[in-house]
Amino acid sequence: MKENCNPTIMLVDDEEMVLSSIKSFLAIDAAYNLVAYTSPLKALEDLDTNHKRVDLVISDYLMPEMDGITFLARVKEKLPMVPRVLLTGYADKENAIKAINNVGLYQYVEKPWDNEDLRLVIRNGLEKTTLLHQLEEKIREVERTQRELSEVQKDILRVFA
Amino acid sequence: MSKRRREDELMAQLIQTDKMAALGLLVAGVAHEINTPMGAINSNNDIMTRAVARIRKRLERAPDNEAIRLLDILGEVCRNNEIATDRIMKIVQNLKNFARLDEAERKTVDIHEGIESTLTLLRHQLRGRIRILKEFSEDVPEIECLPNQLNQVFMNVLVNAAQAIKHSGQITVRTWRDNDNVRISITDTGIGIPRKNLSKIFDPGFTTKGVGVGTGLGLSICYKIIQDHRGTIEAKTSNEGTTFIISLPIERSMKSASR
Repeated sequence: MKENCNPTIMLVDDEEMVLSSIKSFLAIDAAYNLVAYTSPLKALEDLDTNHKRVDLVISDYLMPEMDGITFLARVKEKLPMVPRVLLTGYADKENAIKAINNVGLYQYVEKPWDNEDLRLVIRNGLEKTTLLHQLEEKIREVERTQRELSEVQKDILRVFA
Repeated sequence: MSKRRREDELMAQLIQTDKMAALGLLVAGVAHEINTPMGAINSNNDIMTRAVARIRKRLERAPDNEAIRLLDILGEVCRNNEIATDRIMKIVQNLKNFARLDEAERKTVDIHEGIESTLTLLRHQLRGRIRILKEFSEDVPEIECLPNQLNQVFMNVLVNAAQAIKHSGQITVRTWRDNDNVRISITDTGIGIPRKNLSKIFDPGFTTKGVGVGTGLGLSICYKIIQDHRGTIEAKTSNEGTTFIISLPIERSMKSASR
């Protein structure tokens, strides 16, 4: 796989069958790299130690080690710019939504999910990251130009002083 | 109302509240448990459908009749799986609707949705034996109510109607607007209620069903729920069947301090 040019998605779900299914879908119909974990703790550890490049994170809600909201909150501390998606079969929507507002999720996808919807969520999430990066770049450019301009202004003032 | 009857009614209500809470927890757990493997199966089937289409496309370049025949079978199987998974997902959705876990509070809803959900849940009990006729009026506005409790009333009355029909028959569900009220009637072509029992059907503990079939609480709970909604429930019966008529006020159909 061309690890370097395709975006990388981190997927965490304690159910192997969900990981396998989404992995197969992305393999057949999308050009993303997928790093999959059944353990949120292991996923966090890998973010810390291996400095893996991750462009989007998808997490299950109910997992034995920690729930998806807690996991995504930790991810936010480490990678504030990366969009976070919650994939859940949790029935109590009201509480889920409350939790979502607290963590600032990018999206909420309900199980059983629709592959096409999931693909759209991933694509839009990645696009958002790209746009944010571009915006940052533009801001830096503007700041640089502004600095240069103020240098020129100083020079001009010096000439006329 | 006598003191004894009030105590019985309170008891029935307590048991019911307990039962509904337990049912809610159960449904929430089951829905989560089913939705995860269901999501995987549903997604896998979609992947197979996509793969079949891809392989078919590749085969256009080098036709192979046996391979195409196998793909046709696979494609058919995938379509069949899709219908089956859709059915399961619909049942889970209906279970969730029925318990209305995310909406344990007062809500303004279209009562037809609750009736439809209840009928879907009862389908296996009715299938082949009882025809359901729906005459829903478009004039019926949404009303403020406790949807899970009203669904329970529909469930109770519909189950009774089905049990009153010995072999085969018909249940007619009608809705209409009558001035400031919404009315729902449920008519069965069953054996009817003996005249001497008609005045007792809403009493807690009264049942003519065999041991283990009825608790004698069903209709008393319905009565209580409809009362809480400031509505009425009454029965008309003959040897050609029974009609229950539920009437709910459109404006402020809930006691403000109830529960």
